[in-house]
Amino acid sequence: MTDEFRTSFQLAWHVVVRNWGVYRKDFLANISPTLADPALMLTALGMGLSPFIGQIGGLSYAQYLAPGMVATTALFTAFFESSYGFYVKMTFESVFKAMLTTPIGVREVVMGEFLWGFIRAALMGGTVGVFLLLMGLLSNPWAVFLFPLISGLLAVPCGAIGLLASAMVRNINQFQTVYSFLIAPIFYLSGVFFPLGDRPVLGVIVQLSPFYHGVRLLQLSAWGQWQPGEIAWHLGLLLLFTAGLGYWAYRKVVKILTT
Amino acid sequence: MSIAPDSPSAAVPGSEPVIVARAVAKKFGDFAALQGLDLEVRRGECVGLLGPNGAGKSTFIGCLYGAVLRTGGDLTVFGHDPAQNPRKIKERLGVVPQENALDEGLTVMENMRLYARFEGVDKKAALPRINELLAHMSLDHKKEAPIKTLSGGMKRRLAFVRALLSDPELLILDEPTTGLDPAVRHLIWEKVISYRQAGKTVMVTTHYMHEAEILCDRIIILNRGAVVGAGAPRALIDKETPGFVATFAHDFDARIKAELQPSWELFHQGRQCCVRAPKIDDLLALQQTLGTTALQLRPSNLEDVYLKLTGRELDDND
Repeated sequence: MTDEFRTSFQLAWHVVVRNWGVYRKDFLANISPTLADPALMLTALGMGLSPFIGQIGGLSYAQYLAPGMVATTALFTAFFESSYGFYVKMTFESVFKAMLTTPIGVREVVMGEFLWGFIRAALMGGTVGVFLLLMGLLSNPWAVFLFPLISGLLAVPCGAIGLLASAMVRNINQFQTVYSFLIAPIFYLSGVFFPLGDRPVLGVIVQLSPFYHGVRLLQLSAWGQWQPGEIAWHLGLLLLFTAGLGYWAYRKVVKILTT
Repeated sequence: MSIAPDSPSAAVPGSEPVIVARAVAKKFGDFAALQGLDLEVRRGECVGLLGPNGAGKSTFIGCLYGAVLRTGGDLTVFGHDPAQNPRKIKERLGVVPQENALDEGLTVMENMRLYARFEGVDKKAALPRINELLAHMSLDHKKEAPIKTLSGGMKRRLAFVRALLSDPELLILDEPTTGLDPAVRHLIWEKVISYRQAGKTVMVTTHYMHEAEILCDRIIILNRGAVVGAGAPRALIDKETPGFVATFAHDFDARIKAELQPSWELFHQGRQCCVRAPKIDDLLALQQTLGTTALQLRPSNLEDVYLKLTGRELDDND
């Protein structure tokens, strides 16, 4: 069993190597939007709105927004890679047709995509974190060491949503619908832009979003709020969503990659 | 470049079976792509799968390494069930899929290094192996070229290199030379033949009868997902369509019918009437009776067998 796991993991790692090989060819073009977007948001909303908003729980609006930017990077990195990115590999480039004739199986393909999503999000989330630190937006500077881990954890269930979309859409244009009706609401309503504490309905619904739990973990660490109960709650649910969505995505991808 | 049409079979009679299929069935919804397919391939054999588009060739090939999950019957490859344990099988085979499926974002060398990794080729052994295979396929000047810049023939050759990286025991070729120019086709045939001479097993699908005759010890003809004929190319011809074929213009149709003997067969190909008779003398006599020379007069070949068994040999008045 452990041997089987080691072999499987090794093969999944080859998928990561493959993705990295393609990714690094266009490194600047690949890396810039995921960093430019949060920078732009922070400038427009953080700097722009801060004077009008005043303080939220003792934080300036820019400080409030900061951890959400890490989450945003992780979400978009993971979702776009596993939706458009995976779909193009599967449909237009037939990457898996040849890959699946080697010892790599669908399980390793999916595991590889999750690993790759984790690593990319960790790197990007960490980079955004350093940027926030330099801007003086982290009340708890040590959070910068936690950001890669939380970003990576957050990326896996978000990537699973992307894989599910890839397995279910009938053509590439339908990702736009998934984005507009699922990803955008998750993004705008998960506490990145405003606190949900006093909104009973939204506060409950949002518990169903893995993104929200990641956002909260990032916020608690960035703001230096050590609340073990809340951390356990969000971490637990994040892992639960990771397992559930990850397995569901795997089942769906098996169905689409084998006939 | 010479290819011996009668290259001796490397198959040892009674050698162990590599592929064993018993009543293999595959349904896509209501459509039965494979219905009770039986076949066996032994070590060292080259077996050709022939059949019209949609006969189930690619579906069956997919079943061999678990890309397609059969819905009925028993199937083993190297003694393993591909639906249960595909990795055990995939470690020992190489596939040239119908679409090359090369990684377009990478160069030739990057593609091959990546696949050597996938196949678990030892790191030190990988580079010399890749270089050797690229040289064999006359691709060594393209090592740093991105895949998108390669011609169709080069991509095909590279897909061959990729399939051979791990020195597989079984090579599966899905329409290996479709759309290739004659020079590349000959190069590929030569490689398949030398690979076979090393005692390896090959399964190939093709629409080219000539290719099947050159490469294969044994032909299996599929139609509508079942085997309709099997045997060595020559034996199949002698069994199914023995004799000679004369082709005449359509105008002679009525007169040929009048002259037709019980041991002859009349069939149509396009706007031409074909007569098959056991002896060439029968057809020479028919020419005299009709007062014309046949457009073509030839021994029966594999294409005749194929057309007959797949029902594509159009019947009278069709």
